[in-house]
Amino acid sequence: MEGLLFNVNNGYVEGIVRGYRNSLLTTPAYSNLTQCETIDDLKLQLGPAYGDFLASLPPNPSTSALASKTTDKLISEFRYVRANATGSLAKFMDYVTYGYMIDNVALLITGTLHERDTRELLERCHPLGWFETMPVLCVATNVEELYNSVLIETPLAPYFKGSLSHQDLDELNIEIVRNTLYKNYLEDFHNFVNTHSDMAGTPTAEVMSNILEFEADRRAINITLNSFGTELTKADRNKLYPTFGKLYPEGTLMLSRADDVEGVRLAVDGVHDYKTFFDAVSLGGSSGPGNMGGGSADGKSLEDMFYQKEMEISKDAFTRQFTYAIIYAWVKLREQEIRNITWIAECIAQNQKDRIGNFISVF
Amino acid sequence: MSGAADREAVFPTRQSLGIMKAKLKGAETGHSLLKRKSEALTNRRRLHHTTNIALEITRRIDEAKRKMGRVMQIAAFSLAEVSYAVGGDIGYQVQESAKSARFRIRTKQDNVSGVLLPAFESYLTEGNNDFGLTGLGKGGQQVQRCRETYARAVEALVELASLQTAFVILDEVIKVVNRRVNAIEHVIIPRTENTIKYINSELDELDREEFYRLKKVANKKQRDNAAADAEMKARREAMEKNESGASKQDSGPADILAAEDDDDVIF
Repeated sequence: MEGLLFNVNNGYVEGIVRGYRNSLLTTPAYSNLTQCETIDDLKLQLGPAYGDFLASLPPNPSTSALASKTTDKLISEFRYVRANATGSLAKFMDYVTYGYMIDNVALLITGTLHERDTRELLERCHPLGWFETMPVLCVATNVEELYNSVLIETPLAPYFKGSLSHQDLDELNIEIVRNTLYKNYLEDFHNFVNTHSDMAGTPTAEVMSNILEFEADRRAINITLNSFGTELTKADRNKLYPTFGKLYPEGTLMLSRADDVEGVRLAVDGVHDYKTFFDAVSLGGSSGPGNMGGGSADGKSLEDMFYQKEMEISKDAFTRQFTYAIIYAWVKLREQEIRNITWIAECIAQNQKDRIGNFISVF
Repeated sequence: MSGAADREAVFPTRQSLGIMKAKLKGAETGHSLLKRKSEALTNRRRLHHTTNIALEITRRIDEAKRKMGRVMQIAAFSLAEVSYAVGGDIGYQVQESAKSARFRIRTKQDNVSGVLLPAFESYLTEGNNDFGLTGLGKGGQQVQRCRETYARAVEALVELASLQTAFVILDEVIKVVNRRVNAIEHVIIPRTENTIKYINSELDELDREEFYRLKKVANKKQRDNAAADAEMKARREAMEKNESGASKQDSGPADILAAEDDDDVIF
């Protein structure tokens, strides 16, 4: 049924995004990249995909310059798609940017808290999370003013309202603020895709629920793992878990009670995917709790496996038609691609070729 | 040591000879002391290293620097891992949330044969985890690991700094001591010796002059005496002549006392 009128409004955008998806780097392209000896070679190899954006780079650019240029491409494409989107699709794309907006606002809060000139911070903000009234936030000189301007000027107001007061911004660690916002955002997004009349019951709701649930679970698990050994109390931790997802409610409850990695493992036992991740991690590198990073060359960290899973979900999103979810999936795939390129560039620049294969190639 | 020119401006007196001798003795004592100090210092460096000092120093610093390079490389790479996992720049947040130094150093002073060498000692303040929550949502483990790697890198840096400062200071001191040893050995001692030689020669000269003068005086005295004797004799002879004319009248009793006419013995 949803296919009947989808193309009237959104057919063009869907076509464009599918085209963008086809221009993503493939495994052979990645294997070409890993053969590069210098950043210049890498630049050359990236030519077909990123040509115009990399052209302005000086010879042997820094990896961060490379990353920012590749991000620029994503931004310009995203803006193009956004400009062509109408109605609920436009709203959906705005939702996609809220996540980045949260990061930007958190950055500005940090700056304001430490009485820095927040105008300088605007350059550091993620362009996807840019909103027109953001420079207004820089006028604020103290946290209370900032809080009020955020409430008035940004679409993030609902996420602040009810769960954070301006005193909280002062007292709580910025990471807790950020994760509270993110939790509210995820819940709101989830609610949006499942209740909006254009999306409820369509493949969009189905795919996006799947993606968002995974994202919620990933955050819950990560927050739990990362909070071991910090001053974050269990009660506070519990407030940061999104109230949906495959783990919710039993898994989240168990997560909130977990004291160590073993506790987390028990909590996620009910979900097959996560259980496999944890089993693989405990098999791969027994480097102890909290140290999931790839200590060994081939051992994949939990983080890596989450990314891998995210990419698989995103890839699967393209198997569905008449859905907005492909835009979200495309953004995620492109982000992963940028991360991959940065990683390969870092490995080349730092001469650490043995770990160069640690990226995630989807296609 | 341009001969007589290189000496101290002193009057060649017996007193200054005494002073110079005392000075020479002092210089020799000082020389041997400084020499020993210099040896002690090079030995201190030898404690760290076994045989050829200069080679060992460079080797050790080279080693430290290489280690530094390796550690820094790992650290830089772990930062790359962080940016991969977090997918963004966390630098600003980390900068802003760091409130107090977690990694600190103490300076100690090592006393090596009178030279004060600073030694840096690093330590971690407990329970200081300012940005412990960074990357809570994702990448937190990588952030913490990166922090540890960089802490190790700073540790290596401190070690290297400590080593190098010690070496620089030690080197300076050794140079100064060696300069002093050389100065004493090649300048002060020869000069003092020259001065002593000079004073001695002057004194000898004076002695010779004095002797010559005495001799002259003695000669003169002798001559004067001889002249006086001759005069005396002449006078006596004249007197005798006068008396012999008189004694021819009463020679009887006179013969008893002066049977023979002998000369007066003049000494």
